[in-house]
Amino acid sequence: MTVHEGAPPGAVAKYDERQREILRGELVGLVAFTILALGGVIALSMAFAGVREVSGYRAEHTYNYAGVQQVNFLQYMERIGRPVAQPSAEALQAYSEWVAKNPRTVNVQVLNKYLGDKYNDTNNVFAYMSAYFTPGVGQSCEYCHNLQNFAAYDKPQKTVAKAMLIMQFELQAKWIENIPRPEGQPLYQIKCYTCHYGQAKFWNQDLKASNPELFGVAGGGNPTPHDMKNNGITLNGKVPSSYEVVDDRYLATRPDAEGNYNFYQVTASKDTPPGLVDTYRNQYAMYHQNTALGVGCDFCHYGGYFKSYVTADGVFKWPKAQARHMQAMMLDIALNWFPQMPNVNDVTQNQNYYAQPNCYMCHRGYVVPPGAAEFPEKPVKVADPQIKPLVDLPLPKPILPTSSK
Amino acid sequence: MTTEVYRESFERRTKTVRYLRFLEGLADTQVGPIFLGMWGTVALFSYLLSAFITAIGFGEQVGWNPIRLVRELPVLTLYPPPPSYGLQLAPLQEGGYWQIATFFLTVSLIAWTFRAWTRAVANGLRPTVAIAFTAALFLYAAIYIIHPISMNSWNEAPGHGLAAILLWTNHFSVKYGNFYYNPFHMVSIFGLLGSAVILAMHGATILATLAYNAHKEIDEIEKSDEGTHRAQLFWRWVMGFNATAHSIHVWALGFASLTAVAGAIGVIATGWLEPNWYLWGCRAGIAPGIQAACP
Repeated sequence: MTVHEGAPPGAVAKYDERQREILRGELVGLVAFTILALGGVIALSMAFAGVREVSGYRAEHTYNYAGVQQVNFLQYMERIGRPVAQPSAEALQAYSEWVAKNPRTVNVQVLNKYLGDKYNDTNNVFAYMSAYFTPGVGQSCEYCHNLQNFAAYDKPQKTVAKAMLIMQFELQAKWIENIPRPEGQPLYQIKCYTCHYGQAKFWNQDLKASNPELFGVAGGGNPTPHDMKNNGITLNGKVPSSYEVVDDRYLATRPDAEGNYNFYQVTASKDTPPGLVDTYRNQYAMYHQNTALGVGCDFCHYGGYFKSYVTADGVFKWPKAQARHMQAMMLDIALNWFPQMPNVNDVTQNQNYYAQPNCYMCHRGYVVPPGAAEFPEKPVKVADPQIKPLVDLPLPKPILPTSSK
Repeated sequence: MTTEVYRESFERRTKTVRYLRFLEGLADTQVGPIFLGMWGTVALFSYLLSAFITAIGFGEQVGWNPIRLVRELPVLTLYPPPPSYGLQLAPLQEGGYWQIATFFLTVSLIAWTFRAWTRAVANGLRPTVAIAFTAALFLYAAIYIIHPISMNSWNEAPGHGLAAILLWTNHFSVKYGNFYYNPFHMVSIFGLLGSAVILAMHGATILATLAYNAHKEIDEIEKSDEGTHRAQLFWRWVMGFNATAHSIHVWALGFASLTAVAGAIGVIATGWLEPNWYLWGCRAGIAPGIQAACP
């Protein structure tokens, strides 16, 4: 037989019975394999789609790079089915009597300092309280106030609220107003409901102990190692047996005087200590941010090199610069504000009553927190606030584009 | 047929042969005889011990609750010791379980290699299967033993568990600046893709020549009968040249081994030699775009 010239003789094969059997087997095998493989891919896709839906992941083209609020406070409250509180009839009656006697404010100490003389008018203060405090903490006036004397400080809730209000304005003036942002990106304000979302007590150690999942998986994605250590939770509720857990609640360690924050040094250099522990910790924190803001990694990062602030196309990643700034603010809240905030159960004591802040506390799955407020008046910088941060952290050195498209 | 005689002689020598009919069409239906021997015993015992220790670690993590064990199995992980232990032995709860499980897993894999070697020699075969397995063993050793030792920390190794190896792959790449820029990783991927295409070409060719008994590969290699010749003609028509029935297997073994060996070298070179492969890519001028992200 010559095999070099044209088609070989018998090119159209005649199969015997055994060969036909093998062919049938191949056919069945290929079909079964294809069905299994495709079925597996479809099942996995559906499963991951479910995970994405639950955890709030979105496709990149839907990312909110513009930083414009997509869901506001009232829409968010409607989505989660929580009623928006209003002053009670009893409180309104008491207020109408109070304002008739006191058209000018009595003993107002914070609003007028940060927002100006307008808030020496009782009606303006009431408007502010009704718009932000009441829906924010989900309580009517009498929760904090003595309805016979609105000026009195005879309820611990009012002491706490005053401290929180000072913290709110100080954080706004120091951190939010100085966030690095592209020209034209809107700037929102912190109000009570930015964090509270209609609940007076929502973020303290008691609640965390009784419902750790709220502060772990449900509270904003994967738990931090701190969560694991103190609450015994992982993705499914248990500490990995040999995870090195330290009290690293914050992405950034304390900064030096020049504003150099030591964020996790994940990407290795010659001096990087051995071990992948920092990488694991960092990744848990990053997954937390994924779920807390409802974005994927590439919202902030260039996927080719996570450390870079610039993509291969030269596009500056503003969200990464902003996330870095916000993490420094979170560090400030955790180290310098929460530890001195009065405990509503005993205002003379602390402390460390509040649970560690995290991204989900305010963001709730959105790039711009639904509770971020469009408020026209910017708080002024007060020279001598009644409560100061325990340590006045310097602002991080801003990362800004040298040239961006 | 030669193979039938060969099989018959085995059946006469042992009564442990069984036939599993459901394997028909997928594999040879004959199961057994199994030779255990010293290396087989060591491999099996070590592997079971490794699996048992891993199971103990998992059991502790779920509070010995079998339902939680099943439910959480995909994410349960036996982590290596934290960096503070360096290369020392760690307490059981702090990575000691991982160290013991990894030790016995390593013993098991080495014993399995020897088993493949000694069984091949005993059967009058060249020990090429054992050599091929050594390539995979080299990659395992690079990841679990050589790289951690080079970095002075067992913490650099992956944990034991289903999700653990995926997490490690991601985190290892993140820490060392994107592993895709590791040139050895590139070669490894080249080997992987090459293995896939060669396996697909070979498998499809043999099945194509079914009518000419090419599925009886051993006989064909010995006899060079019509099926092989037609397959070779087919590839000459298609791409101008062809592998021989012998060389195609050398190519396949070579590409598959290259995948593991290049990957192992890439892992070993990571850290002490090059801590950031993206920056290496920048220096080499292979970062994408205008290298805007390069420092």
